[in-house]
Amino acid sequence: MEQQVTVAIIEDHPVVTEGVASWIRSDPEQRVLLVHTARDLTGLHGESRPSADVVILDLELSGQLVTTQIPGLVAAGYRVVAFSGHSDAMIVMETLDNGAHAYVSKEEGSDHLVEAVLAAAADRPYVTRSQARAMLSDQRPDRPELSQQELQALLLWFQGMSKASVGRRMSISENTVRQYISRARAKYAATGRTAPSKDALLARAIEDGVIKPGEIMPYTSFARAAANRPSLGAPGQ
Amino acid sequence: MTDVQPATVMSGRYQRAFTIAVVVLVAGWHVAGGGGQLLHNRADYASFAFQGALWLVMAVAIAVGSILVLRGSPDWRLAWTVAIIALVASTASAAASPAGQMLAVSWAWGSAGWTGVLVLHRRRLVELGWFLAAEAAATLGVQAWDGLNRLDLAAFLALLAWSTGAQIAVAAAVKALDSAADRAAAAARSEDAARERAVTAEIIQAARQSRWLALQESTVPLVAELASGTADPGDPQLRVACAVQAARLRRLMAEGDELPGSLVHELHASADVAELRGVAVEIETAGTLPQVPAPARRVITDAAITILTAARSQARITLAAVAAGIAVSFVADTGSVVLLPAADQGVAIEHQQDGGMFWAEARWNNR
Repeated sequence: MEQQVTVAIIEDHPVVTEGVASWIRSDPEQRVLLVHTARDLTGLHGESRPSADVVILDLELSGQLVTTQIPGLVAAGYRVVAFSGHSDAMIVMETLDNGAHAYVSKEEGSDHLVEAVLAAAADRPYVTRSQARAMLSDQRPDRPELSQQELQALLLWFQGMSKASVGRRMSISENTVRQYISRARAKYAATGRTAPSKDALLARAIEDGVIKPGEIMPYTSFARAAANRPSLGAPGQ
Repeated sequence: MTDVQPATVMSGRYQRAFTIAVVVLVAGWHVAGGGGQLLHNRADYASFAFQGALWLVMAVAIAVGSILVLRGSPDWRLAWTVAIIALVASTASAAASPAGQMLAVSWAWGSAGWTGVLVLHRRRLVELGWFLAAEAAATLGVQAWDGLNRLDLAAFLALLAWSTGAQIAVAAAVKALDSAADRAAAAARSEDAARERAVTAEIIQAARQSRWLALQESTVPLVAELASGTADPGDPQLRVACAVQAARLRRLMAEGDELPGSLVHELHASADVAELRGVAVEIETAGTLPQVPAPARRVITDAAITILTAARSQARITLAAVAAGIAVSFVADTGSVVLLPAADQGVAIEHQQDGGMFWAEARWNNR
């Protein structure tokens, strides 16, 4: 048996914490081990912070939105899976931009939370329907450029089809559907603010063959700019 | 952005015509009246060159004043600067005229008065009154300095009555015409508004009529059959038909408001009946949705009602902004393929059945 993924739950409503814990317990393969629960983020800072691979973070703690705390958690070595009732596209995008691995809405929890935690622990992309919705709604000028195929796969996935159905609809294999959706997610990891979690996700995506280094536009242009004009150093550092 | 009413444009056009008439009158007076008198009496002046220079100063003041009023209502400081230059030129001309003959040879009094009319006619009439009084007082003061006899006083009063009277009359006439144009514009404006209200009322009436006709075709016969006892409430097919009609009634009540979110609103109304049946319906949107015209919305909500009526326990409706339009999709556990309404009104419908799950997408393009 593979080693269990350790997880902490930061959630201010005990009943939700209990629900998440029960989803983790009911995983037939017991792939996730709950090691820490708390109602706020104070315990995750400092020397005596618990060791956990992944933090399941409620985005609203005691009425405060905590998306800006995500970079601190990522810097401390945690991988973050946001779990929230706020499915607003702007909040989802901000959460991912701040370095969260995945976003799972409270409606999606029972089907997706454990899988999202496992994907995060392996630095692999995980795209929920609410995350697909946020990507489709994204109108920011600096958003990554997605291909027609990637957009179509995201749209059908958002609409509620299973990945197998999306594949039949697009006349491609289910595996290719996953590839398109993961590639769209990887492109997002390559834009916006830098975070170790985004770099890890991107490195893993390249390793897995989900995306080629050449497909990540900003990185290539930086490399090219640095190669052409070495005296200027590397911009974006 | 300000909305320019045709009526406002019309009143503005009249006011401009009055301004041009005043400009032509004042310039004409200065050239023909003032200039004519200047040339006619050229031998009587102590210095014709000085009077000629003053005439040019006045001409420049009139030119500047004309430009100012043709560009719109001038600022009071600019208007009064021009008026005071004309007043000073007129007083200087009077002072340099031979004593005793001053009023007989005066070309400047009239021109200065008309210049005042030119720059002050759109301001309060009392301002023009003050200007003309100041001009008369200055001329009378110069005359008194030279010695005032009864004849001079009579000539002064005659000129005052003729020239100043005409100037005040013109200014008052422009004011009266302005307010007549404003009243005409206001009348036209209220007529426009009344016509707009009538058109809106007709549109609302037509929309009600079409909803009533829609009910006549489908719901009324069903209710009549139920009432007469010819339809059996235990018949599952009849129950489906009733569910569809109930959803349509709700949609009819939701229709009619042309808001950007009206399609979402109507889909919610269409989903109400399915939810009462215990079907869990999710409705989600992605992106900034375009406004869909009512006939196309009707095709989309018809598809929604058909699919939701067939759904057993769950349905998901999504609306996504796509290039050039909107994609409205339905995923429901219908168990089998649902017969959908035909594509119409620029709405294309596609569907796919996968096991017990049915997917359909209605796409409307705004091209």
